[in-house]
Amino acid sequence: MKPRELISLILLNLNRRKGRVLLTAIGVVIGTAAVVVLVSLAQGLKQNASAQFGNIAEMSQISVYPDWEAQMMIEAEGGEYTSPPPITPDVVEEIGAIPLVKAAIPRTGVYAMTILKTGKLEAWANVIGIGTDDLSVLGLEMASGTYELTKGTVIIGEEVLKNFYDPNQRAEQEPLALSDLQDQHMTLELTKWSEDGSGNYIEVKKALKLRVAGIIRASRSEWDYSVYMPLNEVLEINAWVNGRRFDPKKDGYEMVTVVAEDRESVLNIASQINDMGFMAYTPQEFIQGVNSFFVVLQVIFGGVGGIALLVAAIGIANTMTMAILERTREIGLMKAVGATNQDVLSIFLGESASIGFIGGIGGVLLGLLLGELINIFGSVYMAGQNSGMMGGGSATLSVATPPWLILFALAFSTLIGLISGVYPAVQAASLVPVQALKNE
Amino acid sequence: MDYIHTEALNKHYEMGHTIVKALNGVDLSLPEKSLSVVMGPSGSGKSTLLHLLGGLDRPTSGEIYLDGSKLSQLDENDLAVFRRKTVGFVFQSFNLIQSFNALENVSFPMRFMNVPRKQRIEEALFYLEQVGIADRASHKPSELSGGEQQRVAIARALINDPTLILADEPTGNLDTASGYSIMEILAGLNRNGRTVLVVTHDPRMRQFASHIIYLLDGSIVKESVYEQAVQQVS
Repeated sequence: MKPRELISLILLNLNRRKGRVLLTAIGVVIGTAAVVVLVSLAQGLKQNASAQFGNIAEMSQISVYPDWEAQMMIEAEGGEYTSPPPITPDVVEEIGAIPLVKAAIPRTGVYAMTILKTGKLEAWANVIGIGTDDLSVLGLEMASGTYELTKGTVIIGEEVLKNFYDPNQRAEQEPLALSDLQDQHMTLELTKWSEDGSGNYIEVKKALKLRVAGIIRASRSEWDYSVYMPLNEVLEINAWVNGRRFDPKKDGYEMVTVVAEDRESVLNIASQINDMGFMAYTPQEFIQGVNSFFVVLQVIFGGVGGIALLVAAIGIANTMTMAILERTREIGLMKAVGATNQDVLSIFLGESASIGFIGGIGGVLLGLLLGELINIFGSVYMAGQNSGMMGGGSATLSVATPPWLILFALAFSTLIGLISGVYPAVQAASLVPVQALKNE
Repeated sequence: MDYIHTEALNKHYEMGHTIVKALNGVDLSLPEKSLSVVMGPSGSGKSTLLHLLGGLDRPTSGEIYLDGSKLSQLDENDLAVFRRKTVGFVFQSFNLIQSFNALENVSFPMRFMNVPRKQRIEEALFYLEQVGIADRASHKPSELSGGEQQRVAIARALINDPTLILADEPTGNLDTASGYSIMEILAGLNRNGRTVLVVTHDPRMRQFASHIIYLLDGSIVKESVYEQAVQQVS
């Protein structure tokens, strides 16, 4: 039989039993809709999570630390604790020489307590010394000012501005508004504790006058929450805190921020740095972990939908088996007028696959509709939930149906129909014509 | 060799612990363009013989030669092609597909021959006209009388232009007048050069026959040849 002839006959046969075909297909509709909605939901959650992962610039960065973890492992296994190899200027240079590394920027935090003061307002600040005078290499966007970091200036992450408060504010007073800090001078108050010689610790304060050179636009990255100063100035502050000069060869830097030329090479560079005996951490690793979690979630959700499809498959098999009982004489007739076993097999397989396909179309449509409903009700519900939250990106419940899922659902439901039809179709094809014709 | 030739044809069925010998050593030779009538009481093996000759079933032992083909040498697929091209079946209970109209029922076998739709309709109408019910082409079986349904079934048997027509009690479900007109149609097909074999209880069929075979308990007990009728055909 030619495919066209086969399809026409299959459609004719399905049309003869519309009611039963539709009832059987409903099972497939529900199963397919379940697969589409659940997998789309997992996909939506994944996209949502990815959107919360901070800015894109951070994706091409690697944070490198001395390998404290390895030392802790050695200690845990009963070994003797030794400091891990420090990140010396030579190491920074070596990392900077790795192919596709755009920049290797050493960083060290201030070891004293730090308070920023401007007018009546003050804020606790995490002050970091950064080994570059041009922050543009980090791919950050500035809310105002310049990327250039020179002696006596700071660049502030936008989120830091939210920390300013008036310590002398009385309860009934309105909080003071923070004026634009760009190009303003502010005071960095440093506090350290040193022994006075008789075993008592006394507080020692020092104040630095600094100009705000730029403000980094908040992009949900770690850069939003700190204050950046030239590395050498921070090393000087630390020398004041520790009472001795910084020795690059011995002390090393706290960490290095490595910027890769592109995002694709980040994991490769990170593994090279790990091989050098340092701890390289990238947000990509975390995202990969999260992504694989969502893949597992998709598989589980898909599996739940798959169970519904399995039940539908049994329905199809049952319908087709019943059809053979009812149409035994017809099968006998088909064979009497010259249909081959192959013809009969194709007709019955085609009918069951068509039921799967019809159910698949219905299921995809129902799934898309349900997805839309979830999106609508989800956004209304989550908007209510988010209104009380402070800062950060607002979470949404959303369903995203990728095109491949639609094609997959259609192909899968058709396949389910086809497989369900195998047993009945083989039975139909192997009927002896004369016995089939005698059937009452 | 004759058009139909069987050698020591046996067909045995197992029913519980007993073996039923539906056909028992049947040797039969029938020439081309003959009209043979197989008669005998119920259970004598008439229908079994017809089914074996038409390739709807296989014998337990023995050989069937039909139009030069040795049926035992054909596999399932070849046998289907043989039924499609060589044989037209007419059944007592018509075996029409209830949801198809007369035209669709008649053209149904052509679907397995890959005949284009337009040609199918033309040929089906032609054969419906041959059996005298072209005006009922769009009627479903439930809207047709028994005689009309059997005419549709005969048109269906003719659609692939077979050389052999096998009719199993074609008048069994019909009133006297309809039954007779069906016999006349079958005789007319024979006159037009087809080999026809009819299994029947109806004694009126004898007047059209060139060969009459009497079966009893699976064996041929009497064979009559009416040369006149054969000559009339040739």
